[in-house]
Amino acid sequence: MASLSEEVLLVVKKVRQRKQDGTLYLMAERIAWGPEGKDRFTVSHLYADIRCQKISPDGKSKIQLQLVLHTGESTTFHFANESSALKDRDAAKELLQQLLPKFKKKANKELEEKNRMLQEDPVLFQLYKDLVVSQVISAEEFWANRLGGINNTDPGLCDNKQEVGISGAFLADIRPQTDGCNGLRYNLTADIIESIFRTYPAVKQKYSENVPHNLTEKEFWTRFFQSHYFHRDRINTGTQDIFSECAKQDDKGLKSMVSQGVKNPLVDLLSNPDVTVKDSSNSAIIKRFNHHSAMVLAAGSLDQASETSSTDGNSRDSDFFQPPVKKVRLQEAIEYEDLQRENGPKTVALNLKKADRYAHGPVPLQSQQYTTSQDIINSVNYIQHEMANYKPNLTQVLSSTSASSAIAALSPGGVLMQAGAQQAINQMVPPEVQGELKHLYAAAGELLRHFWACFPVNTPFLEEKVMKMKSNLERFQMTKLRPFQDKIQRQYLSTNLTGHLEEMLQTAYSKFHIWQTRRMMRKT
Amino acid sequence: MKLNIEGLLVYFPYDYIYPEQYSYMLELKRTLDAKGHGVLEMPSGTGKTISLLSLIVAYQRAFPLEVTKLIYCSRTVPEIEKVVEELRKLMEFYSKETGETNNFLALALSSRKNLCIHPEVSSLRFGKEVDGKCHSLTASYIRAQRHSNPNQPVCRFYEEFDAVGRQVPLPAGIYNLDDLKDFGRRKGWCPYYLARYAILHANIVVYSYHYLLDPKIADLVSKELAKKSVVVFDEAHNIDNVCIDSMSVNITRRTLDRCQNNVDTLQNTIQKIKETDAAKLREEYRRLVDGLKEASVARETDIYLSNPVLPDEILQEAVPGTIRTAEHFVGFLRRFLEYLKSRLRVQHVVQESTPQFLKDIFDKVCIDRKPLRFCAERLQSLLRTLEIADIADFSAVTLISNFATLVSTYSQGFTIIIEPFEDRTPTIANPVLHFSCMDPSIAIKPVFQRFQSVVITSGTLSPLDIYPRILDFRPVTMASFTMTLARTCLCPLIVGRGNDQVALSSKFETREDFAVIRNYGNLLLEMSAVVPDGIVAFFTSYVYMENIVASWYEQGILENIQRNKLIFIETQDAAETSMALEKYQEACENGRGAILLSVARGKVSEGIDFVHHFGRAVIMFGVPYVYTQSRILKARLEYLRDQFQIRENDFLTFDAMRHAAQCVGRAIRGKTDYGLMIFADKRYARADKRGKLPRWIQEHITDGSLNLTVDETVQLSKHFLRQMAQPFRQEDQLGLSLLTLEQLQSEEMLKKITQIAHQT
Repeated sequence: MASLSEEVLLVVKKVRQRKQDGTLYLMAERIAWGPEGKDRFTVSHLYADIRCQKISPDGKSKIQLQLVLHTGESTTFHFANESSALKDRDAAKELLQQLLPKFKKKANKELEEKNRMLQEDPVLFQLYKDLVVSQVISAEEFWANRLGGINNTDPGLCDNKQEVGISGAFLADIRPQTDGCNGLRYNLTADIIESIFRTYPAVKQKYSENVPHNLTEKEFWTRFFQSHYFHRDRINTGTQDIFSECAKQDDKGLKSMVSQGVKNPLVDLLSNPDVTVKDSSNSAIIKRFNHHSAMVLAAGSLDQASETSSTDGNSRDSDFFQPPVKKVRLQEAIEYEDLQRENGPKTVALNLKKADRYAHGPVPLQSQQYTTSQDIINSVNYIQHEMANYKPNLTQVLSSTSASSAIAALSPGGVLMQAGAQQAINQMVPPEVQGELKHLYAAAGELLRHFWACFPVNTPFLEEKVMKMKSNLERFQMTKLRPFQDKIQRQYLSTNLTGHLEEMLQTAYSKFHIWQTRRMMRKT
Repeated sequence: MKLNIEGLLVYFPYDYIYPEQYSYMLELKRTLDAKGHGVLEMPSGTGKTISLLSLIVAYQRAFPLEVTKLIYCSRTVPEIEKVVEELRKLMEFYSKETGETNNFLALALSSRKNLCIHPEVSSLRFGKEVDGKCHSLTASYIRAQRHSNPNQPVCRFYEEFDAVGRQVPLPAGIYNLDDLKDFGRRKGWCPYYLARYAILHANIVVYSYHYLLDPKIADLVSKELAKKSVVVFDEAHNIDNVCIDSMSVNITRRTLDRCQNNVDTLQNTIQKIKETDAAKLREEYRRLVDGLKEASVARETDIYLSNPVLPDEILQEAVPGTIRTAEHFVGFLRRFLEYLKSRLRVQHVVQESTPQFLKDIFDKVCIDRKPLRFCAERLQSLLRTLEIADIADFSAVTLISNFATLVSTYSQGFTIIIEPFEDRTPTIANPVLHFSCMDPSIAIKPVFQRFQSVVITSGTLSPLDIYPRILDFRPVTMASFTMTLARTCLCPLIVGRGNDQVALSSKFETREDFAVIRNYGNLLLEMSAVVPDGIVAFFTSYVYMENIVASWYEQGILENIQRNKLIFIETQDAAETSMALEKYQEACENGRGAILLSVARGKVSEGIDFVHHFGRAVIMFGVPYVYTQSRILKARLEYLRDQFQIRENDFLTFDAMRHAAQCVGRAIRGKTDYGLMIFADKRYARADKRGKLPRWIQEHITDGSLNLTVDETVQLSKHFLRQMAQPFRQEDQLGLSLLTLEQLQSEEMLKKITQIAHQT
């Protein structure tokens, strides 16, 4: 067994992977499998890398668990212990189910971030294609020194992540599908379950009470969907309905919400004399909708709700808190903004010619001193004034004839511009070759950057890396540069095109050799 | 700015003014000059209240002897508070401009529930409880008892007020409800009685309709207000119903049962008192012989509700002998009660006039008309003598005695309908006796007679001429003002068909039709995808809404709507609706967007504004006709036809359209606001319906927006919303719908302004 400081959460024996018997380990941060009799893992996945798990249907003879990774690969485990295969599988599944969501968020965020960067930056995307997809370097290496920068620049964004609300129609999204034999199938995702729990705390309570002691998770949800509670019909089907209590609790919740009263006196209808209330058959549905919407709304702003309810308690028993709110509301209600003279600083209207440039404009890295619009107006006025009174100082300037001759000399084809052959590249070489060349340069640049970043080599890790980088460079030369050189030769173009690239690679190689010989010398 | 309205200097607390405000003030001034009554319609959100206040305050200052008091009546407590705040703004402007503090006293008055500061009493939730509890602490005999028994609880705030509060008049200033409470707390005085006392010398009083229109309250609160007052009824589009409600009585079997208990309690109490303190009853008898007037030198706190009959009918005679002694009176009540019970035992609907009823009661149980008339007064006297503290318990017997007095006083304008069961549930016996007033002019007549100028104003009073007819008065000015707009910020659309060409209508025959319900659902669904933030939808009745919601739910339409917006629904419980409303606003605020399903004639449609993003679209599903099968309504229609020559259909349409206009008008609350008004019923396209909408809405209905399909509506809405989303600045309005003082004074503008007012 590999010596591990990791905590092992679950060990399942007799699990086959690729027709090999072995043992499955679920650890704090990863899942691993090792073949029987060997003390190393042949399969090991971090939970963060796992996109989802799939299990074989109940009726199947083989009891399997499949892990699908974000990269698209998948690993299948076959639980082979005859007596307890199903139990083992479910144990592993349940544990994974709890573990995965914890890592999912982080993984998702990173993935999203990478994805976004690739989408937004076509050059990077090309580079990614050239280097990672063609397996010149691994994805991890590629991202290693890119993501770090991002995470450091805006920590504020990561720290206070915004609470995600609930869709108002999440129940509508659980569409039942017929499974072909007089049954209905509901597909529940973790998101939907979370929405249900957040909207109906009573259901959550039931869940924690009953699962897993009395019911399995599946049974629980089956009952939920069968229940009168979910369907909200007026026909009560089951008497053994564990959810009938939930309905009562919801009613209670609604009542307590109602009894809290409203803070805005302008919507308080109680100040008028009351009318008698009579219940009708459909009023349950109406109440339900009000409750549902209120809960969905509350789930979106949990912190706010707790805050407001605390102040609400105060205003209930003493009037001291009420007047300010009331005053403000009343003032708002009687205000006619257009009848009043506008006061406050004059603002400049934003006149956008290219809205997208505005949206993706440069972002200042360090905080700047912001100026008020009044200042801006002043300075614009000042500049206008300056410009109006501008007189060029022409004593130290070239005469116009010498200036134009200098420009002519520096233009392509001019006296001073004949020596350079490179300038003609855009005429000599067809555009697709140019494009390819650019990509090659970018890729080579990236690799070289990695390579040179290893110097000075002072740790064993860097040593390893520099070796790898050198082989990467060589591989690049073989798989990318050579074919390109062949191609341009075939097209009878000047091989000079790649000369500079070669030169750069050679410099890197010689550096590597110097370093290696030195190392050898030191070793000997 | 300072305006010159036909020679009157008016301070207007804003730098700019809408042209229609100027025009409104002109008309108002003419009304006051003529010392007559007026009917003025001006769109909501054009600053009606501030124009009214500015002009009348200026008038009061210029002619302090002509107009001594402004009585401003509004409908809900928030409305009342808003008016006072606007007034405060105006007064601040006055003192800023003139540099002197003026000695104006203005205050709001509301029920005990909104003014009480007694820690125990004010914590009660319902108005009736508060009133009852207050009475049990402040009634004169309770306070008298305290002299002998110091443990008797009384209200210290009232005691304090009674001891010193009356000598010192309330210092000049503007008092909103909260200010009164603050003041009361500081001084230790009861704000409610302080306010009631202070309205006598206040320059401006702001309170609810009921303090003037409901005779039971009006006599108590507003009896001594000066004749030279200007009375303003704001939001008065429903004033006829308020009048009618205040004079009508409904008696169910439950009322009678509770009344029976009350009478038993009375009997027992009399018995007890007879044994212990017979002198008290003899004393009462002696007073009643002397005459009712003298008998009731009552203290303000003793009277819970006064006589329902109007002030000028107050009886001058002595109470008839048959009900003078307490036992006789209780016996009399018993007989009357038994008679009512027997009447409620009917198997079929009975409708009769008041003289018929009186004749019948005389024939059956030998009750004469005269003692009936004194019933209410006699009961008050008895309750006072018996020193019954908890008056709230006796509401049933009070109701019956009010009924007795009313039925014997008025021979015209009322009808009695006894229904053995509700129309919808003919198998369940639930007899009700409706004593229903059919003539709103009865309740409002004393107001018109007593005060020199009464102004009825609202955003929706069209057609104007119907109000003077049903309220039976002769106005000197009637005008309807339009809203001048720099951009057409309202977009009325009439949806007549679904995408499948099914005619959309809420009329009775197609009410249950699935195709109509589905198309209504589609309309809401499509709009929910197009309109930002809040949408308010109104249905014609609560039952109708419930049915539609249920079938939308079954068809999965609501689920789809939930993808776009959250759904909140008005319920019949006020507290629940308040919560739904607040959540609705919260959802609009935080950007999620919401739909409020609500009912025309409901609380939301009457009292709540949906400014800006709280209501970007209002959808009116169907024409909100009143339930036409109701016998009370039928009787009223008949009466209207016979007395005022108003055809049934005209009145019904008028009533439906004023409610529809009220509903859709909720969305536009000013010129910077904008909103869609969607009338989802093909009947709106007809000229007779459209013609009854207020002019400021009618103007914007083009031929192109009649009888649209759902798809067309969505297209037009998209276009409209996109246009409205463009920035709208003050400069865009200036000179067109917003004027500076200089612009206002230009010759050309003055000519234009005269066209704004639409005289009828």
